[in-house]
Amino acid sequence: MSDDIVLSLTKATKLYAGVAAIDDVDFDLRRGEIHALVGENGAGKSTLTKVMAGVVTLTSGTMTVDGVEASPQSPLEARQLGIAMVFQENSLVPTMTVAQNLFLGQERFYNRLRGIYIAAQQFLQSLNFDVAPTATVGVLGAAKKQMVEIARAVLHKAKVIIFDEPTASLTPEEKKYFFDLVRDLKRRGVSIVFISHALEEALVLADRITVLRDGKKVVTDDAAKFDRARIVQAMVGRDLSHTLYGVRKATVRKAGDRVLTVQNLKMAPMVKNNSLSVFAGQITGVFGLVGAGRTETFKIVSGVLKRDFFYGGEVFLRDKPVRFRVPAPAVRAGVAYVTEDRKVEGFFETASIARNIYLGLTSRFPRGRAFLSRREVNAIGSDWIKALKVRAIGNEAKVVELSGGNQQKVVIAKSLVQAPDLIIFDEPTRGVDVGAIVEIHELINRLADEGKAVVVISSYVPEIMALSDRILVSRQGKVVEEFSALEATEEKIMYAAIH
Amino acid sequence: MIGVRDFANRLLGRGDAAIAVPTFDGALKPNQKLEAADIVLECAAPEDLATDGRSIYVADGPRLLKLDGDVAAEARRFDRPISALAVLPDGGLAVALAGREIRIYLEPSAPKPYAVFASGLNAVNTLAPAPGGTLVATDGSMTYAVEDWTRDLLERQRSGRLLVLDPATGAAKTLAAGLGFAFGACATGDEVLVSESWMHRLIAIRRDGTMRIVLPHLPVYPSRLSRASGGGYWLTAFVARTLLVEFVLRERTYRKRMMAEIDPEYWIVPRLRSGLSFKEPLQGAHIKTMGVIKPWAPPRSYGLVIRLDAAGAPLYSLHSRVGGTNHGVVAAVECDNSLVMIAKGPGRILRLPVGPLNQEFGA
Repeated sequence: MSDDIVLSLTKATKLYAGVAAIDDVDFDLRRGEIHALVGENGAGKSTLTKVMAGVVTLTSGTMTVDGVEASPQSPLEARQLGIAMVFQENSLVPTMTVAQNLFLGQERFYNRLRGIYIAAQQFLQSLNFDVAPTATVGVLGAAKKQMVEIARAVLHKAKVIIFDEPTASLTPEEKKYFFDLVRDLKRRGVSIVFISHALEEALVLADRITVLRDGKKVVTDDAAKFDRARIVQAMVGRDLSHTLYGVRKATVRKAGDRVLTVQNLKMAPMVKNNSLSVFAGQITGVFGLVGAGRTETFKIVSGVLKRDFFYGGEVFLRDKPVRFRVPAPAVRAGVAYVTEDRKVEGFFETASIARNIYLGLTSRFPRGRAFLSRREVNAIGSDWIKALKVRAIGNEAKVVELSGGNQQKVVIAKSLVQAPDLIIFDEPTRGVDVGAIVEIHELINRLADEGKAVVVISSYVPEIMALSDRILVSRQGKVVEEFSALEATEEKIMYAAIH
Repeated sequence: MIGVRDFANRLLGRGDAAIAVPTFDGALKPNQKLEAADIVLECAAPEDLATDGRSIYVADGPRLLKLDGDVAAEARRFDRPISALAVLPDGGLAVALAGREIRIYLEPSAPKPYAVFASGLNAVNTLAPAPGGTLVATDGSMTYAVEDWTRDLLERQRSGRLLVLDPATGAAKTLAAGLGFAFGACATGDEVLVSESWMHRLIAIRRDGTMRIVLPHLPVYPSRLSRASGGGYWLTAFVARTLLVEFVLRERTYRKRMMAEIDPEYWIVPRLRSGLSFKEPLQGAHIKTMGVIKPWAPPRSYGLVIRLDAAGAPLYSLHSRVGGTNHGVVAAVECDNSLVMIAKGPGRILRLPVGPLNQEFGA
């Protein structure tokens, strides 16, 4: 059996300023297995994988690779040991081509570009990856970027590939393709460690699952012996299965006043004659595959994007036509947009939580503010940290130091501080752990109960069904179907999104 | 300044020139409820409905029919077609004939009217009782006759009026003028709810003539209103708005030529029924989606009844969509837990039980 173990950690402990990120964790990875690591944010999954990938070193404990003790001090050393890590935010150079990215770090003194392209083409074909080696990485979709990352790992002869939230930014079809890729790597004898918050993925894809909680290993077992409820219980130490996607809606909220009307909105090539309405006191779920124009439609509504200059359609806010060219007037008119890409658009990661939240408020001031009151910033920050249960050392903590779920809460607080009437949540629980998902869902429901018009854009059908009172399905740039939450089924929604 | 803005809007396709139509969503989400309605009666030219709480009165051309259950009998006949009908709280009957004359009878069978209003009326299409023994009437257009409503739409007329009539004194007062085809009124408190078809909205006009918008941006041309049991109203809509018609309404020269040169039957305008001739515009098309050809056609005719709450907000709606037949709904009244409607397109009186509808839609 021990021959089968490609990588193992024994009594692995990593302390940050005396606080254990992982504590006495035993972990082993078999050759050619897919091993899922699951746990709430802050459970220690990332730290554990970073130890394997040489990003951080253990405070105590040992790591062996192929039975030999190893302690990689850098990712380069880990790579030389055959361990590669594919990060959630991929590490490719967007301005370089696929081939250049593949061979990055392996350049010779004289490089013949044509030779690199040919080698890359042959290599990508051997992996059955449909990516053009001459394509610039920046223009590739999330799935193709991930393919390039995987290809790079395989090229470096990795025998262990670690994926951190690999499917967070993928569409359902891309996820399916990604799963096939991972299974193909497994057939080639590559061992896979992947972190995922989507528990179904772990159950479907993994051979074994390890659950971490508060830096400690709770359980490792064959995936077949787990079900969703058992994983969730192990992760959070309490049963959340009936509060998270588990129970079908029995009633829906009645529509209040029509807050938003979009008529024949156009923004080539993504939004094509889109029309929809959003009502107060209801959660309107918007489902669609990537490219369906959901995000773009609501970014136009909130002034982040502009509609077509000629015949771009109409947007009415409380029956008054509006055309926001930048987000600030939209905020002042009561529209808040909670971005899907929190790390790029959601916050300033090196600024404190309180400052980030206060920044949301500043857009409500028509002429800005020359001076900020530190006391006011901290008071508002503290209030929202308390209200949304943001887990942090204090309101002076930097956002970059928070877990994904808590970062998302900061982004939400930054929007709610604007006291909006219409709140648009774009993928509100992407890359967020189970415990935080429940809290965010509770918050969204509370907002609707308070009479706010709430829009939830999500690619995850169970989330749409669990939250929404009415469900709009978007396809090819416009809303093509509407369901009441009472009549909607996953099949109906997916059918409308595809056909 | 307005001219510059109009020019800019026309150039950029904004404001009125956006040619944007609201979508049927929320409470207006389409269904086929009207197609499932029972057909109570087929008539040659049904126009309006009224009820005394026991029976339904149907205006069918010059005939006044009394409908008890499923049995219809001619109650009386007039010399001209009836364009509006109302049963008064005291059991009296008010009729508008050809839109140009309003007669008020003490009872439906009374031989002679006790009050007649004939001066300055042109296209009276609604009569409804109002407080203090008065009557409200909508005169759809001062320019064209009742049956010539398509011309009124194409010329973008705004000559509709809301009138208050006092049968006791014979006084007629214009409460509001310049309305975009007033078609439907219902007096409530010190206000009168009026549907303004060409403006696609429901407005409330107070006794002093001031106005507020109750329900704007409808995706249809609204028509008559009636009270619903348990509070609120039934609002009918005789046709849906389409991008093509909205576009034609922006093109003055085109409309002028079309009206001068084309048979009115084939104008690009909404109709109360469609699919009768291959020469009709908007009769069909297809779109290719994901490699699959799908049938598609903007509705030239449509049927819709909207249940409104007491504040005028839609609760649910009953539709007859493209491909259906019960189009051109111009009147709906609730009587004995049933909703009785006129689908003028096919000339049908329809009936749907209200209880199951309220239950299904949670109203």
